[in-house]
Amino acid sequence: MSWWTDRHFFLLAVIIYGASAVYSLFLWRKGFREDDRVNYGLLLAGMILQTKAMFMRGFSLKECPVHNLYEAMTFVDWTIVAVYLVIGLWPRLRYLGAFAAPVIVAIGVFALMPGLDPAHTDPPLLAANALVSLHAALTLLSYGAFGLSSVAGVMYLTQEHDLKFHKLRAVFALMPPIDRLEKITSRLLWAGLVLLTSGLVLIPWLLKSRPELHAGADPKVIWSGLVWVLYLALLVLHGRFAQSGRRFAWGAVAGFAFVVLTFWGVNLLSPSHRF
Amino acid sequence: MPLLVIGVSHHSSPVTVRERFAFPEAALPGALQQLRASGLAREAVILSTCNRVEIYAVSDLPESLAAVRLRQFLLDYHGLPDLPGGEIYARGGRQGLEHLFKVACGLDSMVLGETEILGQLKKAYQTALGHRHTGGVLNKAFQRAFHVAKHIRTETNIQRGSVSVGSVAVELAERIFSTLSEHPVMVIGAGETSEKTARALLSRGARSIFVSNRSHERAVALAQELGGRAVSFDDWAAEFPLIDILVSSTSAPHCILDRARLEPLMKARKHRPLLLIDIAVPRDIDPSVNFLDNVYLYNIDDLQAIADDYLKQRRDQIARCEAIIAEKAGAMMPAGADVVAAANGPLPGLGQANA
Repeated sequence: MSWWTDRHFFLLAVIIYGASAVYSLFLWRKGFREDDRVNYGLLLAGMILQTKAMFMRGFSLKECPVHNLYEAMTFVDWTIVAVYLVIGLWPRLRYLGAFAAPVIVAIGVFALMPGLDPAHTDPPLLAANALVSLHAALTLLSYGAFGLSSVAGVMYLTQEHDLKFHKLRAVFALMPPIDRLEKITSRLLWAGLVLLTSGLVLIPWLLKSRPELHAGADPKVIWSGLVWVLYLALLVLHGRFAQSGRRFAWGAVAGFAFVVLTFWGVNLLSPSHRF
Repeated sequence: MPLLVIGVSHHSSPVTVRERFAFPEAALPGALQQLRASGLAREAVILSTCNRVEIYAVSDLPESLAAVRLRQFLLDYHGLPDLPGGEIYARGGRQGLEHLFKVACGLDSMVLGETEILGQLKKAYQTALGHRHTGGVLNKAFQRAFHVAKHIRTETNIQRGSVSVGSVAVELAERIFSTLSEHPVMVIGAGETSEKTARALLSRGARSIFVSNRSHERAVALAQELGGRAVSFDDWAAEFPLIDILVSSTSAPHCILDRARLEPLMKARKHRPLLLIDIAVPRDIDPSVNFLDNVYLYNIDDLQAIADDYLKQRRDQIARCEAIIAEKAGAMMPAGADVVAAANGPLPGLGQANA
């Protein structure tokens, strides 16, 4: 098995996530009427393989594997699955997996694209590297939380649409009530915002070891600040101004779509984040 | 020694007949004592509900004779003349056992798959057991029936979903709100269906109920029954910001709530989700309110459609349940025993239950 690299394990995990996504289509067609244990099991199996892959990469590098786009994407993917597996312990919330699986597969397939996993060439500067790892891990964890919040948002919009238009699935499906989905979306967004804030406040210390960089001119830092403001505005509008659940859910979905669609491009523009 | 079932049910007779056979709860021990003292039954359980009166017995007599004598006991006990039709049915041997299992599972109930009958059956059995009127055969049969009911509940969807308008309304509320206890309910129009719906909501945790009716006395009476508060019919909108669920069933000839009236009320409620259950005909609530954010409107037809679909789903499960019951009954009563029971011939002068 020595020829099996961490990427092979991750590929296997993505295949299992793919099986989960296909199975989710059947669950959708059947109206989510049975307890979703099979999907939970598939995502758990994929998660075990992915964890193995990430540990292999981490041990080989002797640092948290978050230093290129492949690693960043796998970390976000792992966060989404891990948080889902915890939330999915409650049977009524298990169908979140059916909505999450396509997102998890999409991120996984993107991570496996050629050219996103160049070999590490930077000499390790241990103290600075630990801080970089922490910064990257916190921000990527936050994107994972935002990702799962968008999945909860899609689930909310589905259930809300079914209730509004009197679809029988609204009653027959074993899905959580929409007020709980709204709370889950909100809590995941708050968790993501706290993690993102924690990651961003490390930037001044990171720049001490890279004096040639200027945070104010770095597109990635500006982009991160924009993401932070967007999510904060979404949460404030929801909490203070009684924004409707549907708009809030759309906000969570749109927010993560923005992150996913711009993440790679902004990294290419950023001198400090060019992998 | 096979089990024998004899009785009347909603399948075989109308309520005008069934009510004459009913055993008051307090009279059950005496009736069981009388039945056993007559030598007709070695063991006996009497089940008496609004939809059925049945005697489950084990007799030393040949099955056909026991059936005739038990039938006569049922008539004599209630001082009734003989019935010309097939109102009284009998089932013996394996058929009797399968009938017991079907009753326990709600397959023989008026509302298919309902669970109340299982509690009633358990109570009837406990009464007989407590007065030592059961023995090896009935104890085993009833214990197995309870086990089969549990098995069918977990393995099939025969008991899934709501088949009444009130319980469908509760299910809808539970698809919007996590816990009903935190979401006040308002009932406008104190009719029978709205009362049932309110009771269904109460039974699932709703606590705070406002009742409004054109006749304030009726509103006060219903509010007292439900443990809620009566609201003047002219002032119901003043309490609206407090509520999250509205059940409306007035006899008003026009809508009492339309979009123009609801929009400011929603603002006052800070746009919290609102479930509107309109069970009035003609409708009380203008359908256009459903276009407002966070408003979910269901009328009587919507609720009935959901209930009907649930019932259809339950009907689709009947064959599966019957297969399980046949398998369980077969395991308990081998084919040979059934042959012996069948050899006794059809039960003379008795109808067969339409289970």
